[in-house]
Amino acid sequence: MAATFFGEVVKAPCRAGTEDEEEEEEGRRETPEDREVRLQLARKREVRLLRRQTKTSLEVSLLEKYPCSKFIIAIGNNAVAFLSSFVMNSGVWEEVGCAKLWNEWCRTTDTTHLSSTEAFCVFYHLKSNPSVFLCQCSCYVAEDQQYQWLEKVFGSCPRRNMQITILTCRHVTDYKTSESTGSLPSPFLRALKTQNFKDSACCPLLEQPNIVHDLPAAVLSYCQVWKIPAILYLCYTDVMKLDLITVEAFKPILSTRSLKGLVKNIPQSTEILKKLMTTNEIQSNIYT
Amino acid sequence: MDVCTFEKVGIRGTNIVVLGVEKKSVAKLQDERTVRKICALDDHVCMAFAVLTIFIGLTADARVVINRARVECQSHKLTVEGPVTVEYITRFIATLKQKYTQSNGRRPFGISALIVGFDDDGISRLYQTDPSGTYHAWKANAIGRSAKTVREFLEKNYTEDAIASDSEAIKLAIKALLEVVQSGGKNIELAIIRRNQPLKMFSAKEVELYVTEIEKEKEEAEKKKSKKSV
Repeated sequence: MAATFFGEVVKAPCRAGTEDEEEEEEGRRETPEDREVRLQLARKREVRLLRRQTKTSLEVSLLEKYPCSKFIIAIGNNAVAFLSSFVMNSGVWEEVGCAKLWNEWCRTTDTTHLSSTEAFCVFYHLKSNPSVFLCQCSCYVAEDQQYQWLEKVFGSCPRRNMQITILTCRHVTDYKTSESTGSLPSPFLRALKTQNFKDSACCPLLEQPNIVHDLPAAVLSYCQVWKIPAILYLCYTDVMKLDLITVEAFKPILSTRSLKGLVKNIPQSTEILKKLMTTNEIQSNIYT
Repeated sequence: MDVCTFEKVGIRGTNIVVLGVEKKSVAKLQDERTVRKICALDDHVCMAFAVLTIFIGLTADARVVINRARVECQSHKLTVEGPVTVEYITRFIATLKQKYTQSNGRRPFGISALIVGFDDDGISRLYQTDPSGTYHAWKANAIGRSAKTVREFLEKNYTEDAIASDSEAIKLAIKALLEVVQSGGKNIELAIIRRNQPLKMFSAKEVELYVTEIEKEKEEAEKKKSKKSV
C-alpha cells in the first residue's frame, strides 16, 4: 500500500506477488478459442526450412544434414548485394534449400504466397567444396522466430569445427559514440567475435556501449554459447537502402581468412555490383 | 532519415562563382524541368547581380525556405532600396532555420544550403548553412554524401592559380564532382555567375566540352609522368 500526494491510499504494484494473484490467474485461464488463435498464430509464424528441388521440409537441421567447415551469412540487402557480386560470381554455388517465414514485416498478409525477396533466406553451397555454405537473408526474422531459425539451421547440438562469418548493416544513428555523428566516416565497419574465434578482424572491434540486434545477434550469441568460432562484421551506414558506397565498405573483409579463396574476379564483381545498383535504383523525389 | 546521395559543390573564384551539382536521374515519364536544383534568390535589374543557392535534403523544405528567402530579398529592396548582400540573406536563412530548432511542435528544416553571389563591392561570396542554423563563409565547399572526399580534393587543389581564371575555376568544380559522381560528365549540372554578368546555366554539351578537356589534361600529365620515370 502506498499513500499518494493527496493522501489517498492506493495499492502499490509488487513484483514479489501478492495473495490476490491466485484468484486473478483463475480468471486468466485460456479458453479453447484463445488456444486456437494462439496455435494459428504459431503456425503462421513458423519458420520452415525447405529442400530446393522438392520444396518439402527438411527433417533435420541444415548443418546436421550437410557437413560444414565455413558458413557465411549475409543479413540485409547491402550485405546480400556484397556477397552476390563479390563471392557468388567467383565460383559455382548451388542452392541447397531455403527458410520460409512470415511476420508482420512482410508486406502481404497471405502467408502461402510469399515473394522470394520478402520471406526467404536462401542457402547455397560451393560446388567445388560442398562444406562451404552461404546464406542470403534479405527478410526480417522477428524475435520469436530467431530461435526457430537457429534450431532449423544449426540444430540443437552443433559441431564446433566450423567457422561462421556474419555480415550485416545498421544505421549510423544507432552508433553510440562521444564523437559528433557528422564527423563519423560512414560507412564504416566494426567487428564482434566469439571467444573461440582466434583470427584477427580486419577492422576495429565494436566499442561499448554499442550492441548488436536481431538475427545477427542471435547467431553470434548461439555461437558463443556453443563455442563455435564466429565473427560478425557490422557496417554502420547512413543509407539503409541498397547503396554502392555501403556495399563497397565491406571490401576489407575480402582479404580476411573467412573469405580468402572464395573471391577471384574483383573488377568483374564491381561491374556486377554497379548493374545491381542501377536495376534497383528507385529515384525518390523526396530528396534533392 | 537517409542521407542525400547527390553531391553539390560551390567554388569562389576571383571573378566568378561556380555551383556544380550531381544530377539525379529522373523517371522516364517525369518532366526534368520540374526537378530544380540551382535556384536564383535575387536578380538585380541594373547590375545583373544575382544570388544563387543550392539546397540538399528534403525538396519540400527547400522550396519553403527558398520562397521565404525570395520574399525577403524583395522586401529588403523595397525597404532599403538596394539589393541584399549575400551575407544578409544567408543570415536570414540561418535565423529562419534556427527558429525551427527552438519551437515547440515544429521540426528543423532538413536542408543544407550553399549560397553564392557577388556583393555591391564586387567581391564574390560563398556561404554554407546547415539545419542547426549555423552559417559559415567558405572559399570552396561541398555538401552531400561524399562531401568529405570532395572537400579533401578541394583542399589539395584550391590554389590562387586554380581560381585566377574563370575556366580554371569551372574545371576545378567539375574535377571535384568527378571524384564522386558515378557516371561522369553527363550527370553534372553547372551554373556560374561572372562579376557584373547575369547567371549562366551550362548546357550538357558545354559541360561535356570541359570534361573532355579535363580528361585530355589528365592524359598529358600521365604521359609526362611516365616519360620522367623512364
